[in-house]
Amino acid sequence: MFGTTLPAVALLAGLACVMPGTVRMATAQGAPAQEGGKLDVNQLFAGTCGWCHSDGGRVAGKGPKLMDTERSDEFIRNRIRNGKEGAMPAFGQMFSDADIDAIIKYIRTLKPDEG
Amino acid sequence: MSKKPNLLAASMLATLGAAVTPAVHAQPVDTARIEAGSPNDWLTYHGSYKSYHYSGLSQINADNVKDLGVAWIHIPGRSTRGLQSMPVVADGVLYYTGSYSRTFALNGATGDVIWSYFPELDDALVARQTHSPYNRGAAIGDGRVYVGTVDGRLIALDMKTGKPAWDTKLIDSQKLTVGFTGAPLYAKGTVVIGAQGGEWPGRGPIFGVDAATGKKKWEFLTVAGTEDAKQSWGNESWRTGGGGGWMPGTYDSETGTIWWGTANPAPLYDWSGPDYKTSGARPGDNLYTSSVIGLDVDTGNLKFFHQELPHDTWDFDSAVGEFVMLDRDGQKLVVHPNKSGFIFVYDRAAKLQNVWPIAQNINFVKSIDPKTGELIGRRDFSAGKVSEPLCPHISGGVSWNSGSYSPATGLYYKLGQEWCMRLEVVKTTPVTQPQVQLNIGANFTIAPPPGGEIYGHLDARDPVTGAKKWEVRYPEPPLASVLSTAGNLVFVPDSRGILHAYNAQTGAELWSHSDGTGHQGGIVSYFANGKQYVAVTAGFGGMATDDYAPTFGGPYKSMSRDDGALVVYSLK
Repeated sequence: MFGTTLPAVALLAGLACVMPGTVRMATAQGAPAQEGGKLDVNQLFAGTCGWCHSDGGRVAGKGPKLMDTERSDEFIRNRIRNGKEGAMPAFGQMFSDADIDAIIKYIRTLKPDEG
Repeated sequence: MSKKPNLLAASMLATLGAAVTPAVHAQPVDTARIEAGSPNDWLTYHGSYKSYHYSGLSQINADNVKDLGVAWIHIPGRSTRGLQSMPVVADGVLYYTGSYSRTFALNGATGDVIWSYFPELDDALVARQTHSPYNRGAAIGDGRVYVGTVDGRLIALDMKTGKPAWDTKLIDSQKLTVGFTGAPLYAKGTVVIGAQGGEWPGRGPIFGVDAATGKKKWEFLTVAGTEDAKQSWGNESWRTGGGGGWMPGTYDSETGTIWWGTANPAPLYDWSGPDYKTSGARPGDNLYTSSVIGLDVDTGNLKFFHQELPHDTWDFDSAVGEFVMLDRDGQKLVVHPNKSGFIFVYDRAAKLQNVWPIAQNINFVKSIDPKTGELIGRRDFSAGKVSEPLCPHISGGVSWNSGSYSPATGLYYKLGQEWCMRLEVVKTTPVTQPQVQLNIGANFTIAPPPGGEIYGHLDARDPVTGAKKWEVRYPEPPLASVLSTAGNLVFVPDSRGILHAYNAQTGAELWSHSDGTGHQGGIVSYFANGKQYVAVTAGFGGMATDDYAPTFGGPYKSMSRDDGALVVYSLK
């Protein structure tokens, strides 16, 4: 079920928006999550979001399936910023508008894993 | 100091089913009283320092359990992510906590509220947390009730009035994101509580706090807490190592030692491949994560440890707080379940005596040497798709909840879970600014075991050898704690919301009753106003249970994840 990183995601990561400096990654180990201030949404899901949004958001887990969601951009943006009590943390302090744009683009381009 | 002879006399009466009324001038709950134990009470999260989760009461027994019915119910309100706590009971008064650390003292016979306390929390912080806002219990001792909060505080309340005695900030949760969800442990004038951690890039402290004043006495860092341990984290990865100790352990009064289980390192899944000692996210063994540690109760100094999973790269931590203190054939043993589904048996200095599996589907290692503890045939992943599903699932071969040991039958009643996960390991970098974020290191989904379906099972086993006497299976893994009693009974609160009572010798089901929603917390028994009661928390939602609706459907699709109740049973 798990394949290599999806081309769409890789493309998205490559086109990811410039971070305004609100998220700084520690550099103690490993490859940085972002280079030149760009948010790597694929890594973001593998690090944080995937705890609930299984398989990078492709299937339902603790949180809902994100792939092919019918929710509007505005709804998703609001949910990322403000969260939902007892279900999803609020990330308004973590992400700029541009970051959230990148996350929404990631969600919109999710495809089933071909692995 | 307690007077042991009186306690023992009361214990004997209660065991015989006699009417023992709560003492008018009850003795204070202190270390000696907890050590002496009494079937009338439930004085620590684990019942007593022995951690048996066993009641010596027999008024409710295998012959009359068919007449068990609901005596009273208490609704704590705001049970966001369900009700996960273990009540404690002293002198007929039941103390328990709900989400947001809402704390109650109730008349154990009637359910009447004696007092309640709702701490004011940092709501903005709580909104940013994932492992929140549930609370798993309180401790009692020296006339106070102790409860931790998700915003990093430990609060002491007067046992009689509920008024705060002190309120100590221990963790900078606004920076580190994590706080306290586990119950504290009271021992020898010290309150011990461990931080959340694991996948959270911090250093996972465990604290000892003066019970009288609230002043911090000591702090032990489960990540690189000693200079030797620091050497086991390459590339200074200890700075974001994870760890923690999010469930309460126990106390060995003979040696003045706190036993505690520590959580896993971060990221959960490393991409080191087999060369984990020198490569990957956190090269080395990563001491003292996924370990059992012994700390001096007065100083917090490390006395001994056993790392159950060196360089844990599967999120199978040792944070399960259950340390069953056995005396067998003149040998003093400690039985401790690891989340991986292996049960470790130690002597009282954490020297390994045996290891046996309770879960059937385990493949993160081929085996664990029962004499040396060496992980044989371990699977250390590289970045990318993991070809064969990893077993058990991230929710564990056992839950963080506790099993039960019955000294009457000599059997250990413990739930095992059979489930696996598909995994793709992804390189990540810890995020620490402006606030610490989860560091998983993978994408994953739940999966059935090879060639079979997901299920759970209650096993009745010898706690030292693992020899199985009987087993009961469930279509979905039960996650709550188990209770056994001198009435030859074993109680299992399951995930669908059914409370089952089994014959402790045979496993035959004798009684069941629906609590209306799934269980994922504690169950205790106590004596009040001449009657034995069984109290169980019901209320679903949270880390493991949030997977149930998409995985199993059925009743879980409509099961609330933001309510709960304390349901208390007695004979009709």
